[in-house]
Amino acid sequence: MHYQTESSWGSYMPTRSNTASVGDPLERIERLASENAVVIFSISTCCMCHAIKRLFCGMGVNPTVHELDQDPRGGKDMETALMRLLGSSSAVPVVFIGGKLVGAMDRVMASHINGTLVPLLKEAGALWL
Amino acid sequence: MAFGFCNVLPFSSFLDENENGLRWSCMASHRVGPVGETGLSDSGPSNPHVPYSVFHGSNVPTSFINQEGSAFDFRELEEAIVLQGVKIRNDEAKAPLFTGRPAATLEMFPSWPMRFQTTPRGSSKSGGESTDSGSAVNTFSSKAEVQLESESPISNKASSSDHQAFDHQKHLQLQQQQIQQEMANDRSRAGPSQNQSDVKAPQEKRKGSGGSSSTSEKQLDAKTLRRLAQNREAARKSRLRKKAYVQQLESSRMKLTHIEQDLQRARAQGLFLGGCGGAGGNLSSGAAIFDMEYARWLEDDHRLMAELRTGLHAHLSDGDLRLIVEGYISHYDEIFRLKGVAAKSDVFHVITGLWMTPAERCFLWIGGFRPSDLIKMLIGQLEPLTEQQLVGIYRLQQSTQQAEEALSQGQEQLQQSLIETIAAAGPVIDGMQQMVVALGKLSNLEGFVRQADNLRQQTLHQLRHVLTIRQAARCFLVIGEYYGRLRALSSLWASRPRESLMSEDHNSCQTTATDHLQIVHQSAHNHFSTF
Repeated sequence: MHYQTESSWGSYMPTRSNTASVGDPLERIERLASENAVVIFSISTCCMCHAIKRLFCGMGVNPTVHELDQDPRGGKDMETALMRLLGSSSAVPVVFIGGKLVGAMDRVMASHINGTLVPLLKEAGALWL
Repeated sequence: MAFGFCNVLPFSSFLDENENGLRWSCMASHRVGPVGETGLSDSGPSNPHVPYSVFHGSNVPTSFINQEGSAFDFRELEEAIVLQGVKIRNDEAKAPLFTGRPAATLEMFPSWPMRFQTTPRGSSKSGGESTDSGSAVNTFSSKAEVQLESESPISNKASSSDHQAFDHQKHLQLQQQQIQQEMANDRSRAGPSQNQSDVKAPQEKRKGSGGSSSTSEKQLDAKTLRRLAQNREAARKSRLRKKAYVQQLESSRMKLTHIEQDLQRARAQGLFLGGCGGAGGNLSSGAAIFDMEYARWLEDDHRLMAELRTGLHAHLSDGDLRLIVEGYISHYDEIFRLKGVAAKSDVFHVITGLWMTPAERCFLWIGGFRPSDLIKMLIGQLEPLTEQQLVGIYRLQQSTQQAEEALSQGQEQLQQSLIETIAAAGPVIDGMQQMVVALGKLSNLEGFVRQADNLRQQTLHQLRHVLTIRQAARCFLVIGEYYGRLRALSSLWASRPRESLMSEDHNSCQTTATDHLQIVHQSAHNHFSTF
């Protein structure tokens, strides 16, 4: 699991040049989502986020986790944007696979049970075999 | 109260002035004054006329003058005196006097003081004798007057006691009310009105210094005091009786609520009644509603399973069978929806499985069955399966296990976080904050129940997709029967014999198993007939 914390912004992507301004939260979300095969937006204290992280780790996937409460610059805005995106009162956890929105916990679980999650992960390069 | 009865004594003694039975001297009686004094016995030697023989020769008076000064003792004393006196005095009008209808307010109490209060009432019954009785009462009074007058210094002493005044004032009013009530039924007004005026007089007298030597007031004093004492007695008994009744009502009400809840739970748990739903705590409205809906769902379940069974045996076409199968899946969708609603209003009720039978609750996982357990159970029952289907089932088993593991770990983190929060809620001010934080964390439970039910729902849907329609029909029938048996196990367990368990025999385990086998055989018809 990769955690993007404040201090390490840009440490994984040396070519990052967004330190000047935060920009539109939704744009930022999309940008962050496309950077890795599996991207999870989370809040460090949220236990459902913990569950979803465990789910992916249990499957052998290495997701990139963005803890919104640990991002002082745009975390709050992103949270609001995600809430609007999902149409739910809870912004997190949200999963993007291959840059595409999969959804919150219930969608992820449903897709895992009906067998569509694994192919998606393989397609995104997050799983081998 | 001792004051009451000691003052009455002179009165009752005049009932029977001509007889040798009850000649009490006022002196003797008034010395009784303060509670606890053995005034009567003291006055004995000083007055040769004091007939202690009325108590059948025993020095019983002292027993009445006890530390408690209870009205009960007074009552017995009174009874002895007055019964003797009144019986002798009023030969012609005995029955009405003693069998008069008691005052409405005190009807509950068959205690004898009522008789005395019906004395004026008795006068109304025996129409012609009304004036007689009334006047009899007055005659008593007048006789008491005479005697009291002779002992006036003593009676003054007694009646002017401040200690009495307040008490008697109050009971005088009670007395008055009672008399007025009786008056309402009295045809004759002569006696009662006189009584009333007589009663009023002492009141006025007491309001003053109480040094007047008016004989009529004094003798009514005595009569009134006796009545007051009776009132006190009756009021006390009334209070006790009322208290007992209220307590009885309260306990009955609690019991009724308890029984209703047990009944609800028993219905919700399907097959059996006694022995289940042990907790019996207060059901919230959301919980109660859900329990009822679940009970209805179970009934629907039986019906739908019967449909599946007949559908399979009738070899319906796939199209027809599909309708039945999809109906059964919607049936499960419905219970998950209901659970979601219930979890919003009472998450603890749902997550702790209070709506389930005890045996089901053994396998409880976040408010319901564990999907991987279901798959494990089904694997042997669904044959024959194609290889693709087998792969599908095993994949389903694996994904349910992974999802369960993830949710369990999430719930574990929630619990750990709660432990820390509740433990930190020490000092009062911070403690309240921590409690608020804990409440916020608890609200996550609903989310976990929701996700767990979602997992169950998805598992059932996926089974439908992996299997053919006929296999799916059989699969759901197997599931329904399995849980039916699990529920039946709860009632069988509850009704198992306990004797073998209580023996210290080393073979008790084997004995129990045999007993269980017997129960199962015996109950087979009851519990398994639906399957």
